[in-house]
Amino acid sequence: MTSQPAKNIQDPGRKEYLHGGQIVATKEPTQITSILGSCIAVCLWDPRLGIGGMNHYLLPFGHRHEDLKSARYGNVAIPMLIEQLVDLGANVKRLQAKVFGGASSINPGKPGVHHVGARNAEAAQELLLERRIPIVSHDTGGANGRKVIFHTNTGEAWVRLIQANKPEK
Amino acid sequence: MNESANTDKGHRATVLVVDDSKTILVAVGQILQQENYKVLTASNGEEGVEKAEAEHPDLILMDIEMPIMNGYQAVQTIRASEQLQETPIIMITTRNALEDVEKGYMSGCNDYVFKPVNTHEFLEKVRSWLETAE
Repeated sequence: MTSQPAKNIQDPGRKEYLHGGQIVATKEPTQITSILGSCIAVCLWDPRLGIGGMNHYLLPFGHRHEDLKSARYGNVAIPMLIEQLVDLGANVKRLQAKVFGGASSINPGKPGVHHVGARNAEAAQELLLERRIPIVSHDTGGANGRKVIFHTNTGEAWVRLIQANKPEK
Repeated sequence: MNESANTDKGHRATVLVVDDSKTILVAVGQILQQENYKVLTASNGEEGVEKAEAEHPDLILMDIEMPIMNGYQAVQTIRASEQLQETPIIMITTRNALEDVEKGYMSGCNDYVFKPVNTHEFLEKVRSWLETAE
């Protein structure tokens, strides 16, 4: 897991906020931010060319005809992000991945193995392994939401668990 | 009967839906009842907190913009109750701006479903969070 204080992250200038079902792939240095619960964000970049991007998918696999066009599914969003990066000039053999999100249990003693968050994280591992893209960093599971900031040109990522404010008793 | 509507303790899972829109309460209620979940409803945050404390549902679905008490305040109040700290809460809302979503997680929710609701995604999340509930 790459976790750095926000102040150490150099602002690349351009900023994007990624919602569920969206993809950003770019040559231009960009800071992409997303907030994740059980969803997964896969961050990919080509370190030599500084081309990178992120997806944010909600479910691991879509099988219906209409699902196969939607980046809301991991089996669509991951190949789609790779394709967009390759179209921009990235070399698939150089791509590296960071994977975040997949909250999957509110109860530490009861891991949600069938939980959609756990299955989302497994799908990222499986789909990236199939394409021989190494996952160099990941932070998945647990009960909390996450805020992720990714810099497309350097591959730097900052992830913060969003802790609930302590309730007043 | 849909077995997934049962908790691991064998009882039919109860889902509390909190929303000020009757249309949403009816629509979401129907989706859940078709899956054999027991559905409770509340039309504002304050009523939602009262029902959560009285009924101890297995899962709570919470709108944000509501009269009397909004969804953020309601989730925070629910989390103050010792017995409801491990009850999964999913925000169900149109508010998808970064700061709004972050605020939801900071109030203590576990996940989000955005309106208009996609039934398949919605039920996946409901089943998933019920799986790990107490």
